[in-house]
Amino acid sequence: MNRRKYTVGGAVKWVIAILLVLLQVYPFFYVFTSSFKSLDDFRKLPAYALPSALDFTNYITVFTKSHMFTYFKNSIIVLVGVLIPLLLFALMAGFALSKIRFKGRKFLLNYFLLGLMLPMQVALIPLFTIFNKMGLINTYAAIILPQIAFSLSYSIQLFYSFSKFFPEEMLEAAIIDGCTPLGSFFKIVIPMSSNSIITVATMQAVFCWNEYINAYTFTRSTDMKTVTLGLNDYVGSMGLTDWGATFAAITVTVIPVFIFYFLCSKKMLAGLTAGAVKG
Amino acid sequence: MQKAFGKKRVLLMFLLPAFIIYTGFVVVSIIWAGYYSFFDWSGVGEKLFVGLKNYIDLLTADGVFGSTVWHTLIYTVINVLIQVFGGLLFAILLSRMKKGRVTLQTLYYIPVVISSVAICQIFTKLLSVTPTGIVNQVLSFFDPSLKLMEWISNPNISLYVTAFVEAYKYLGLYMVIFYAALIGVPSELGEAAKIDGANTFQTYWYVKVPYIKPVIIANCLLVLNGSLRSFEFSYLLTHGGPGNASELMTTYMYKQAFSSMRYGYGSAVAIMIVIICLVVGLAFRRLTREGDD
Repeated sequence: MNRRKYTVGGAVKWVIAILLVLLQVYPFFYVFTSSFKSLDDFRKLPAYALPSALDFTNYITVFTKSHMFTYFKNSIIVLVGVLIPLLLFALMAGFALSKIRFKGRKFLLNYFLLGLMLPMQVALIPLFTIFNKMGLINTYAAIILPQIAFSLSYSIQLFYSFSKFFPEEMLEAAIIDGCTPLGSFFKIVIPMSSNSIITVATMQAVFCWNEYINAYTFTRSTDMKTVTLGLNDYVGSMGLTDWGATFAAITVTVIPVFIFYFLCSKKMLAGLTAGAVKG
Repeated sequence: MQKAFGKKRVLLMFLLPAFIIYTGFVVVSIIWAGYYSFFDWSGVGEKLFVGLKNYIDLLTADGVFGSTVWHTLIYTVINVLIQVFGGLLFAILLSRMKKGRVTLQTLYYIPVVISSVAICQIFTKLLSVTPTGIVNQVLSFFDPSLKLMEWISNPNISLYVTAFVEAYKYLGLYMVIFYAALIGVPSELGEAAKIDGANTFQTYWYVKVPYIKPVIIANCLLVLNGSLRSFEFSYLLTHGGPGNASELMTTYMYKQAFSSMRYGYGSAVAIMIVIICLVVGLAFRRLTREGDD
């Protein structure tokens, strides 16, 4: 009796788990398979059917008729431009706030964490007018700088809680050996924090790659658009009828994220939970 | 070490870069928006000082703003319910699985890493009416009239659809956090409850869920902050419409400033958003902190 109850319960659990997987994964599977559908397939087959043959026309459309390569180039430039200063400055600040005891430390930490509650959109009007005056609209600087600023709070919070576990004896020894504080930061703190750096980097990389409103507000021309923007733009300009090309465009822009995610998912999930559960 | 690092020069070196960028772009921008909010200004030409007129109009004459505040609150409640409580339920399910936890966890997390733009595009297709999208096609098996069901362009439900799509994207995130927290509950606690005769439900209800209460509160706060400033789903999926049916505070602000070129009025909306976010965030913190003491 007990045994049977156990297996029925187990089966129900699996059914729910698999239904959940379907819910979370099926839309992407649908997009991927639909990107191979020909015009005929779209007309004749029901939406849930698989394509009748592998048709690459949609991908050819995406790569020849739109500026996909430019969008990728811009996204990569923005990604590097955001991540390197963000990680460096956030680690320096997070480390200092958690390890150095000084007057006003608590206040400064709360000042940085206030940013977690402030919506980015609110800064757009002043930033737009200032960038406009300085001729910065439609430049990489206008896309990159506000993103660094608005990602600082979260990154500092993560580095602050990770740095609590940093062994102070190492720094003690380095200082006695005549190393300067900044020197010991680069020679000891950065290499020893590589785990937390990678964690924050993977998370911020995904946020940055998917960033929309900032790039949308501060770019004007096609040659400055990022992948996220390009996707939306492209779908609009093709009209609602060309579903195949739309699906192919979504697939092309999403695949790098998927590859990155499956390579780093362990790091990302681990860091995420460490930040949230212990923080 | 404290002596070497505690010097003013060293401290400044570590903290100044982050402080300057954060203050310059985040804090100064918001103060600047506060300054703009006292003017009638189209972005170009003369700024006309109008004092508190923008705020008075906003609170008394502008019915749309009132409705966007209301929409944002509904939107936030739906998101907290689905993301926090749905996430917790699914995390419990995941923690009960004997096999395949890592795979399931990885798969559940997929929508979180996909851009909101792509998610909105996908849902536009899934919920499409002409041609019949997959959702309506499946529903029409049960009731043929549902084939013509409008989702995105239906003023009665577009707000809920938008909230659902946002909740869909982030559900996996909170599930993963809750899962990690549940795994961290000392196993002796669960065993002790079992010995005392508690069934599985009771073990969770009286022992494990109360144990991870701090994580639940932290997640509530994250979802609260995220939903109050949500922008992309309303802006991209429904364009705030039809009419203003799914307009949120943030999309309203954006449209006032950048579509209607009312920078002063848009800034006043922006300041209201900041105030609401801070009040709700701090009140929630205070409330939950008092409960802890």
